[in-house]
Amino acid sequence: MSTADWIVLFGTLFLIVAYGVYKTRGSRNIEGYFKGDNSMKWWTVGLSVMATQASAITFLSTPGQAYEDGMRFVQFYFGLPLAMVILSVTAIPIYYHLKVYTAYEYLEKRFDLKTRTLAAFLFLVQRGLGAGITIYAPAIVLSTLLGWDLSATCSFIGILVIIYTVSGGTKAVSKTQKYQMAVMMGGMLVAAFVIIDLLPEEVSLGNALDVAGSMGKFNVVNFSFDFTDRYNFWSGITGGLFLALSYFGTDQSQVQRYLSARSITQSRLGLLMNGLLKVPMQFFILFVGVLVFVFYQFYQPPLYFIEGNLDKIEQSSYAREWQALEQQHAETFALKKQEIQGFLRAKEQNDQPAMASQKEKVEQLNQQVAEIHTQAQTLVSRAVPEAETEDTDYVFLHFVVTNFPAGLVGLLLAVIFSAAMSSSASELNALASTTTVDLYKRSVKKEGSELHYLWASKFFTLLWGVIAMLFATFASLADNLIEFVNIVGSIFYGTILGIFLVAFYIRYVQSRAVFIAAILSEAIVIYLFFTTDIGFLWFNVIGCSLVVALATTLQWVIGRKAQ
Amino acid sequence: MDKDYNINPNEDTPPFFKSWKGMYWLVIGNLIAMVALFYWLTLYYS
Repeated sequence: MSTADWIVLFGTLFLIVAYGVYKTRGSRNIEGYFKGDNSMKWWTVGLSVMATQASAITFLSTPGQAYEDGMRFVQFYFGLPLAMVILSVTAIPIYYHLKVYTAYEYLEKRFDLKTRTLAAFLFLVQRGLGAGITIYAPAIVLSTLLGWDLSATCSFIGILVIIYTVSGGTKAVSKTQKYQMAVMMGGMLVAAFVIIDLLPEEVSLGNALDVAGSMGKFNVVNFSFDFTDRYNFWSGITGGLFLALSYFGTDQSQVQRYLSARSITQSRLGLLMNGLLKVPMQFFILFVGVLVFVFYQFYQPPLYFIEGNLDKIEQSSYAREWQALEQQHAETFALKKQEIQGFLRAKEQNDQPAMASQKEKVEQLNQQVAEIHTQAQTLVSRAVPEAETEDTDYVFLHFVVTNFPAGLVGLLLAVIFSAAMSSSASELNALASTTTVDLYKRSVKKEGSELHYLWASKFFTLLWGVIAMLFATFASLADNLIEFVNIVGSIFYGTILGIFLVAFYIRYVQSRAVFIAAILSEAIVIYLFFTTDIGFLWFNVIGCSLVVALATTLQWVIGRKAQ
Repeated sequence: MDKDYNINPNEDTPPFFKSWKGMYWLVIGNLIAMVALFYWLTLYYS
């Protein structure tokens, strides 16, 4: 990294943190600390909701998803706009009229304290894990690619977030997220233009799209129904809908964002803004990944993107095999590039048979490249057993670090850090509010002053920040970060959503039935996760359906026994 | 929806629309348009 990169990176981060601390000093009670005195306007709410969901994992992993698997991941978000509409109609008016601090407070009014406590506990476990991953994920990628110390990177992110979140609470989180979103989307827009500019002169944007399309990257929408397929229209519109309903309707890290709005109207508009912009935003980020893919059809990519491990491989007994693979990779790449150029010439001449023939050759060579990559991953696992073999999360950042001009590398790193910080801040704020309101104030210290609870809130924010940093420092990583986060979410969200759906819509069911149903459902979902190949998005539907079905049935049984 | 909560029928209307239904249809319509566009993209390059 150049001096310009460091200036851009640290300048951006410190300005945002300083702004957050300065503008939001002086909360006097937990209403101000957790609900921002209900002062936020809809665009602040909308940007806050979007920034909370868009963690560093989005910007690291999503382009890598597109690079590897095409753009079909966008289907995951198809249920989100529908969820925003449903929540605007149902959950928002209820939360506002009850004047709750947390989503789980509502459950005590509807059922009882133990159901509230159970839902809060499930949230704290799931989001507590998530908060650690939110810090760890960018830290491990940055650490591996740039040689930064992992613990120091985790601590750096964590400490920055703790400073303004402890200081200013919800207001600090929301106000900084506006600028973090600007950095994130501005940075990605700059990245897209830079990538297009870096393509060979003879390759236009249209040519780039043709290459990407011919190699299957525009596999955006798939209407075929396959229960084991992770991403298709049906899993997105149903499983994705349930996930979004649960995440935005019952996860305190999101609920807290829109509960800070000035009114129901502002809250609704914020969510609907997310409903309008989220899908195009994700499409754009995936598209950046496709552009990186096209770039690497004309400029040779590394055999393995995690370059931090290359020294160890080259010093191992597998060095010769590795060099042979690299040679094979280079030769196959050169052949493929020729065929791709042949494809573009045929397209220019509108020679359909030649296009089809070239496309087939490119597909075969692409398959060979994929096989060489798989062999490389096998070699890595043998030469460096502790190394990560799955390198899709490193593709985008490796590309940025090795190809972007000075200053812009710093900007893209600022994107990653801003995304990590914006999500972490919301998570810490939510973990603290649930701990304070649903557990501490409700069950431990019921008679305290406002000042006492304010200090308790700050303490719990700090505590969860430290826990998240510690977890990040000791966590290990799954194959793909964005999938791992959503898998963890899907295992818990269905049950929590089921509890809330019963609460909102099935008045017949009382506390004992829903409590037992929730515990049984969670156990079944966890069992299914470990023993079947069901796509993870479906666990949202399964968990939710189980709670609703079991709660209704149990209530009937309990009712009959009572009679 | 839970009928115990007395939602004020005179709640503010959203900008540009006479009722919230219009906003909701805008969001849903936007989704449909995007899915149609993405599907066209998929077919065009398939």
